[in-house]
Amino acid sequence: MIQKKICLLGAFAVGKTSLVKRLVSGIFSDKYLTTVGVKIDQKKLSIRGQDLMMVIWDLYGDDDFQKVRASYLQGSSGYILVIDGTRKETVDVAGKLHELAQKTIGPVPFVLLLNKHDLVDEWVVECPMVSDLRDQACLVSMVSAKTGEGVEAAFTALSEAMLRS
Amino acid sequence: MAVSIHDHALLGVFDALIFQKTAKGFEHLGDLPSWFPPPGLSRETELSPEQILDRSFFLQHFLHEAQAWWESGKTGPWKSGLWNEPALFGEDVVLEATAVRHGSFRYLILQRFGPDMVPIQPLLQKAREEQLSHRQAVNHHERTEAQLGSRLAKSEQERDDVMAVLDGLGLGTIMIDANRVVTFISGKAHDLLQTDPARIIGRTLIDGLPWKEDDSARVEEMGRLPGAQRQVVRVVMDGKKRSATALEVEVQDDPRDPRKTILLLKDVTEMEELRRLLVGPTQFQNLIGKSPAMRAVYERIRDIAVVDVPVLIDGETGTGKELVARALHQLSPRHDHLFLPVNCAGLTDSLLGSQLFGHKRGAFTGAISDHEGFFESAEGGTLLLDEIGDMPLAIQTTLLRVLQEGEIIRLGESRPRKVNVRVLAATNQHLQELVDKGAFRADLLYRIRVARLRLPPLRERREDIPLLSTAFFEQSRVALGKMGVLDIAPETMQSFLRYSWPGNVRELKGALEYALIHCRGGSVLPSDLPPELSDGPPAVQSSPFSKPNERQLILDALAQTKGKRAQAAKILGMSRSTFYRRLTELEIVQEDSDR
Repeated sequence: MIQKKICLLGAFAVGKTSLVKRLVSGIFSDKYLTTVGVKIDQKKLSIRGQDLMMVIWDLYGDDDFQKVRASYLQGSSGYILVIDGTRKETVDVAGKLHELAQKTIGPVPFVLLLNKHDLVDEWVVECPMVSDLRDQACLVSMVSAKTGEGVEAAFTALSEAMLRS
Repeated sequence: MAVSIHDHALLGVFDALIFQKTAKGFEHLGDLPSWFPPPGLSRETELSPEQILDRSFFLQHFLHEAQAWWESGKTGPWKSGLWNEPALFGEDVVLEATAVRHGSFRYLILQRFGPDMVPIQPLLQKAREEQLSHRQAVNHHERTEAQLGSRLAKSEQERDDVMAVLDGLGLGTIMIDANRVVTFISGKAHDLLQTDPARIIGRTLIDGLPWKEDDSARVEEMGRLPGAQRQVVRVVMDGKKRSATALEVEVQDDPRDPRKTILLLKDVTEMEELRRLLVGPTQFQNLIGKSPAMRAVYERIRDIAVVDVPVLIDGETGTGKELVARALHQLSPRHDHLFLPVNCAGLTDSLLGSQLFGHKRGAFTGAISDHEGFFESAEGGTLLLDEIGDMPLAIQTTLLRVLQEGEIIRLGESRPRKVNVRVLAATNQHLQELVDKGAFRADLLYRIRVARLRLPPLRERREDIPLLSTAFFEQSRVALGKMGVLDIAPETMQSFLRYSWPGNVRELKGALEYALIHCRGGSVLPSDLPPELSDGPPAVQSSPFSKPNERQLILDALAQTKGKRAQAAKILGMSRSTFYRRLTELEIVQEDSDR
């Protein structure tokens, strides 16, 4: 079975861990519990009849307290950038992490997820703000870890892109 | 003494999994820590470090870093950072790997941290929760600000739209608050009022608006009435920069706050002009009327005014002889000088002579100083000799000489004084009949009637009655403070049209004042009129003051006013002088004759 490492990158509290939990366990909790360090999960996906074991590195949120260690990205075949639609500053963090990823592992496939679509009335992030990332991502999707909207499709899309590349 | 890393007792203190890198792979040192093996792993079969390393993605990744560290020759530890690998340990277990080099020995140490053993966790959790909470509050404020901004923009847009519509309709808007202070003026209103808004906003209706005070008072008064009773107020402004502007002012309550008022201004100048052209002139100087008879009078005034000759103005009492005289003066080249009306009735020879021509000190008893007469006072101007038919013959003689010679002699003097005065004479009597009776000098008559002007009685120009009534109604309700009376009822107007008006225009004006005083509703009703009108109009008479009933009318009027002659004269539409003369002629004696 093919095995691929991917990383989830984004500012703190954008919902990276919740997205993985939704994908791997199908559960969601409203309680925010910050991730310390790296959390590694696995998810087996079937892509056009081909089994793929996705090793998911859920990296702690990047902020002034914790900077993402570039070495964690080594060996990744792709990554997921996560933005919180209700917080503008998470767009900037995603942009910086994207630059770090490109510098560390080169032009691998990535998807851009705008999470918390269930709170769309409170969204402040608008399309023009993510135009640079959108042009490079293999998928840009509005998702909700809470409702599950678009989560599996996003991981599948990244998997397909990784298999193609 | 150097401590050996192979001291099992010492290693046990760290409660860690410690491997030593060997040529073949890894070798476990010391006792197993309390947390290993985790549930699901067998001590016997899963103890091999290679097996653990094989199953941990993170450790496999870290070993590449550790290898580079060992080979770099650097001393000290190289830490992996915390990680959690549920797939390997079956639960949330936080681990950290450390690569250490001691001489030629290379060690890999795995430490476990329980939830309460990661000191950074609660700090990070709290810091990030506070940051999130702050961000949520900021977002909330930003959303509120955006919503308020949006509402404000929408309100402003709606206000601009409404203003644009009102401006498009030619309506100016002024808003007045509960304290009667102007708070807003639209661009159109600014144009109509021809005044800087800064001079209006913040000031009261009376002080701020460039209208006559009476007009502002009428607007104020209208605002106090219930909505259904309000009428449009018409205001005419004398333009400083352009011609006069006629405005219609509609007073509305602010639908959001009835204590506030909205004035809607509409420019009706053009409409007024068109109306004026359509109906012809309704006013000339201060004379009101558009009947053919009055238009002929206006024409005659224009013709006579510019010719500097005496004029005899003939007309029944109350027809406006003095107004005609004033118009003649105003339209004459003498209009910059004095217009002086003198009543010739009811005065003795000496008194009238003294008043007209003046006297010298000591000329007669009571002449305590030199006195200038009306002829001298009116130098360069116009003198109206009203009721000239009642002028004593002796004075007539003197007057004739003044008119012929252009000079007067004060009583008690012998020296003539040159005077330059235009003489107008007015009478309601047939002077020719007086000449025939010997009561008036024929030569004086010929002298003063070089130009003649006869004023028609009101009954001969009934079509002017509505116009006159409306004009007097508007004047009087303002003067009397009866703004609540809005109009003259049609049946009242019918009474006016049927009545014969022996006192002519003056009587009509007096009747309207009487009715307004008595009116308690919004319209002047027939029941508000003086008795002579409300009791049913007398038949139209060719001579309303025919001898049989005049005495009785005067007595009735005196009884009604309890002997007050001025009021009685007003009721009858007579001037006071005419009234006094008729009292004498009809031998009506009053005990208290000075009232």
